[in-house]
Amino acid sequence: MVRKTARAALALVSALLLVTTVEASEFGVLVEGKGAEETYYACSGCHSEKLIAQQGLTRERWDELIDWMIEEQGMPELDDNERKLILDYLAENYGPDRPNFPFK
Amino acid sequence: MTKDDKPQEGMGLHEFFAKDPIAADKAFFGRVSYPDRRGFLRGAGLATMAAMVGANIPFHRNMPAGFIPVALASEDVLQGKDGLKLFNDRPVNAETPAHLLDDPITPTSRHFIRNNGLLPDDMDPAKWRLKVDGEVENELELSIDDLKNQFEVVTMALVIECGGNGRAYFDPPVSGNQWTVGAVGCSNWTGVRLKDVLTKAGLKSTAVYTGHEGADIHLSGDPDKVPISRGVPIEKAMADDVLIAFQMNDGPIHPMNGAPLRLVVPGWPGSCSQKWLTRIWVRDKVHDGEKMGGTSYRLPNRPVAPGEKVATEDFVIMERMPVKSIITFPENNAEVKGETEVRGHAWSGDRTIDALDISIDFGATWQRAELDQPVNSGAWQNWRANVKFPTPGYYEIWARATDSEGVAQPFAVAWNPRGYGNNVMHRIAVRVS
Repeated sequence: MVRKTARAALALVSALLLVTTVEASEFGVLVEGKGAEETYYACSGCHSEKLIAQQGLTRERWDELIDWMIEEQGMPELDDNERKLILDYLAENYGPDRPNFPFK
Repeated sequence: MTKDDKPQEGMGLHEFFAKDPIAADKAFFGRVSYPDRRGFLRGAGLATMAAMVGANIPFHRNMPAGFIPVALASEDVLQGKDGLKLFNDRPVNAETPAHLLDDPITPTSRHFIRNNGLLPDDMDPAKWRLKVDGEVENELELSIDDLKNQFEVVTMALVIECGGNGRAYFDPPVSGNQWTVGAVGCSNWTGVRLKDVLTKAGLKSTAVYTGHEGADIHLSGDPDKVPISRGVPIEKAMADDVLIAFQMNDGPIHPMNGAPLRLVVPGWPGSCSQKWLTRIWVRDKVHDGEKMGGTSYRLPNRPVAPGEKVATEDFVIMERMPVKSIITFPENNAEVKGETEVRGHAWSGDRTIDALDISIDFGATWQRAELDQPVNSGAWQNWRANVKFPTPGYYEIWARATDSEGVAQPFAVAWNPRGYGNNVMHRIAVRVS
């Protein structure tokens, strides 16, 4: 990780400058709601929340996807309460009807 | 250290975190505490911390809650690109609107980006090395200069299309980047034939597949994980139009498109075209690298109903991309007076296009377009037609390609659980006055 220092330091500085221009929502493009914060922080350590917002999946499919990320992609485990909260949020806001699809 | 401790003015982060990283995380980021915040410290969180070691905190009193994600996504990821639509900034995934793909050869600034991980830190072509090993008589380790000096250098226009191009149109939706029609490009690629390099290495009779490796970094930051490592059957690898490329449109390869060295495997899913290429591992079995297995780039072994559950063992690897076309002029929702040229491109993996037909009446009648030959094997074919509209009003222009095996584009999506291979006709709307 040492090799990423210079790049991340630059990102750090420019991020500090950019902080005031970030979009109003605390959680990027994710819609507000119970579980939005937990989803954002559980997921955006690795990838942007924009990836989540594009999806339209059943609760079961979200659950499988989280399993895959934990088992194959290095995502840390979620405790039961956190997982339920996140699944509730995703099932309600990013289900197959795509009520919050971010693109036209 | 308690949650209320704040780093002192001018205190280095290193010192602050050295005592108790977990509590420091809570204090520094003012984060809501969970029973176990270790999650944040592993993976990307840990990587970020390590990167920040040694940095002072100029605004430590004003650190907002969302700091880490902003820091990781703050660079202008579309630098050097023109008009691309960003789906995701980490990893970067961006497609080109159809009307910006109008050029016969896709400019670098208009070529889509599909990343699985983070960019390598060092893309210096002078230092770059490509290893060729596995089921070969002679292992090779080649610099880019070696490639230029030891092999014939060619330039070819080659189609790269994401396996998931068209995924947005699946109903019910499937997981992944929701590409519409723009995850495709046909740039000029300069390099050497993979075939020539493999011939020099000398394939053993046991060679059946290639396994590709690149220098991109897994999203989690874990150095033992790779974002992607796919391969192709050795017969495909030995085709004349598969290149190890070191130039894009007569210039340096864009960092997001795999600088300084990449594979270009035209007509197969873009994931076969390894970026930031470091190794060709010749295998004695089907490659089993990251995103070769499970259901990645795989289709069910039979047609399935929309939303159907399919057992993982019933999936087969997707190989050639199906026949497809795109309308690049006019732009969707254009206003047209009476008549217009309509133009675009057509392609079909490992095949050529026999015909391109246009309809303005929802498929009831068709008009044949003028179709160019591809400039070389692996390139798309440009087409154009002059279209007259009978009356003012709203029309859709549909384009349907038929390939050299007589296979045409379908009218509806052949649904599959991962959203691959959607080659439904492109349709644009025009208002005629």
